[in-house]
Amino acid sequence: MSPKHEARLPLAFIPPGKEVRLAAFGDEIDALQREQLTAYGLAEGRPLKVLQQRPMTVILADEVELALEHAVARHIWVEKA
Amino acid sequence: MALSGIRRTRRWMPQIPETESSVTTPLTTSNAILLVGHPNVGKSVLFHRLTGAYVNVSNYPGTTVEVTRASARFDREAMLLDTPGVLSLPSRSDDERATMRALLEERTRCLVQVGDAKNLRRTLTLTALLAELGVPMVLALNMHDEAAARGVTVDLPALAKDLGIPVLATVATGGEGVAELIGSLPDACPPQALLRYDGEIEADIARASEIITRLAPHPYLAARGLAILYLGGDPEVTTWLHEHIGANYALLETLREQAARRAEGKLPALLACERTQAADVLTTAVIQRALRSSPLLAQRIGQYVVDPLWGIPILLAMLYLVYQFVGVFGATTLVGLMEEDLFEGILNPAFSDFVNSSVTIPWMAELLVGQYGLWTMGMTYALALILPIVSTFFFAFGVLEDSGYLPRLTVIANRLFALIGLNGRAVLPMVLGLGCVTMATLTTRILHSPRERLITIFLLALAIPCSAQLGVVLGMLGGVSFSAVLIWVLAMIGVLLLSGFLAAKLIPGQRIPLVTELPPMRLPILGNVLKKTGGRLKWYLIEVIPLFLLGTLIMFILDKTGALPGIIRIGEPLVSGWLGLPPEASAAFVMGFLRRDFGATGLFAMAHTLSPIQAVVGMITITLFIPCFASLMMMVKEQGLKVAVAMVAVIVPFAFLVGGLFNIALRAFWS
Repeated sequence: MSPKHEARLPLAFIPPGKEVRLAAFGDEIDALQREQLTAYGLAEGRPLKVLQQRPMTVILADEVELALEHAVARHIWVEKA
Repeated sequence: MALSGIRRTRRWMPQIPETESSVTTPLTTSNAILLVGHPNVGKSVLFHRLTGAYVNVSNYPGTTVEVTRASARFDREAMLLDTPGVLSLPSRSDDERATMRALLEERTRCLVQVGDAKNLRRTLTLTALLAELGVPMVLALNMHDEAAARGVTVDLPALAKDLGIPVLATVATGGEGVAELIGSLPDACPPQALLRYDGEIEADIARASEIITRLAPHPYLAARGLAILYLGGDPEVTTWLHEHIGANYALLETLREQAARRAEGKLPALLACERTQAADVLTTAVIQRALRSSPLLAQRIGQYVVDPLWGIPILLAMLYLVYQFVGVFGATTLVGLMEEDLFEGILNPAFSDFVNSSVTIPWMAELLVGQYGLWTMGMTYALALILPIVSTFFFAFGVLEDSGYLPRLTVIANRLFALIGLNGRAVLPMVLGLGCVTMATLTTRILHSPRERLITIFLLALAIPCSAQLGVVLGMLGGVSFSAVLIWVLAMIGVLLLSGFLAAKLIPGQRIPLVTELPPMRLPILGNVLKKTGGRLKWYLIEVIPLFLLGTLIMFILDKTGALPGIIRIGEPLVSGWLGLPPEASAAFVMGFLRRDFGATGLFAMAHTLSPIQAVVGMITITLFIPCFASLMMMVKEQGLKVAVAMVAVIVPFAFLVGGLFNIALRAFWS
């Protein structure tokens, strides 16, 4: 799925401290990884907070901290919360 | 119950009872109570509370890699099973498959779903699937203290009413709510379904259920639950149905293919998405979140630890503390007390006097207390030199595990590990390997792909010294000079990166990007760390003492039969010519075949006769040399005989090659 809306940005580009909403997973994320991310609680429409971007993207989803490599975070599209 | 009462099985098979507890409750009549839930929610701590049996528990996901069983404290007729954490079902990873197999093969009395109270949405997503299995259930919302600290309140009565099962709040580490949980087990009942799937999917589920009910009804699990798992592509359920339906299996297969085509190949994702939505609705109805103005201290510390600026200084400080505790306190102070004061000062002279005065056969006295004596060499090495070092290492590792630091280490190490085709998750077995390579080889099961496991096991076998060996190496080279230690460390890191880089290029497959949960930083509980250290030490000693004694016996026989001088002569061109070591060092390499640290200790014993270059070359070679016999056996178990033999065939010549090259280079540039 490519970004259809201008306000959508890859998760890897969001500055730390910002709260966003997950918009869509890119096509580059395969079915298995998509299932894994969904199991971690990352689903379309869910709010999340970016904690840091280096050395990896670290987010807070609900009360769970997740670390994602940029190779993954680049293909997760988010929009304003 | 004693630790010996625990049995770990990858696959449940009816077996002859082997422990006291299982004698009273043979598996054929056992009532299994399964603890299931996400990784790192406290299942193993709860298991310990409910059975008294201790299993390896850590503050990082994936610690439980096999199903563990023990008799329940509160009901000797019941058998409790601790299953590996499942990120989601249908199963995908090895540990999820192990849990699914337990669900399929056990005579389940009830399921206790252990969930993280502060992450109710995720817990209920799993409940949405487990509820379809039609098995009596209880939901334990664990770590509710952490949820409360974050302002999360769950309306337990409302949730219990919606699910139709007992729901309890627990803090397993402190024992809170455990008695209530035990009291609620008789009230366990099959939960109400959380959702009906969309029209077409629901129709497919009904058709699959009908086929399963007609052709292969499961004795404990509902056909509808199996149908949902089957349509979601669960490999274990697929195998079970294939085996039990037989020739008519094609009916089910065709049904799944048609459903998958209609869903454009996204059927498992669609099913998972609907469960997530149902869990979302229920969560919103029963949860309240208080607004918090600032993050908790534990969260702040957790963030500093993986901060690009602070992460590395914190890592270095942590390494320094571990070095002070293990390398200085363990390997110097405690070893000094044990070896010089206790063994050489008191025990060995007393035991030697006793043996020499009471054993009249000279060779037998020598076998016990001679140069290669079972007591003076085997037991002294194992207890005086190795035990203090591994004890301090396992304690330090336990503290790091329970603090939640190790998953954060995977984030810091990720970039480095990307160079060798791995992701940061491999840092966990690697660090554990610094304690015991055998144990670490088993822990590679937390890695997600066979390729990652193969590379990590190879690197563990080649370039990761275990704590016993590390202590000997640091003790010996530290006595030479700091430069000697530095050369050895750089040699190991260089070999690790180079061989990892080559292995990643040669072994086919893709690197998997790291996605990992970072559990909260917690203050480790001393009692838990001590229990864990005790469990690991017991495991280690059971493994190490027989091998040390066997090694000593072999050395004694080789010495007495005159074979040792022969081996020293045969090994001379390689050991003296290529490595530049004294001919007697061959004996250390013979010992090294049994245990690397045993070999290293052999070199240590002749330290005063070695030059600085010989000490460094000897230690580099013996570190790269094949790991101990026990870890070789573990390699065979995990990767098969062929792969293990191939690894040894690469590692042994490689160790001598690198050792020789360092001999040449150091003689040319370091004097």
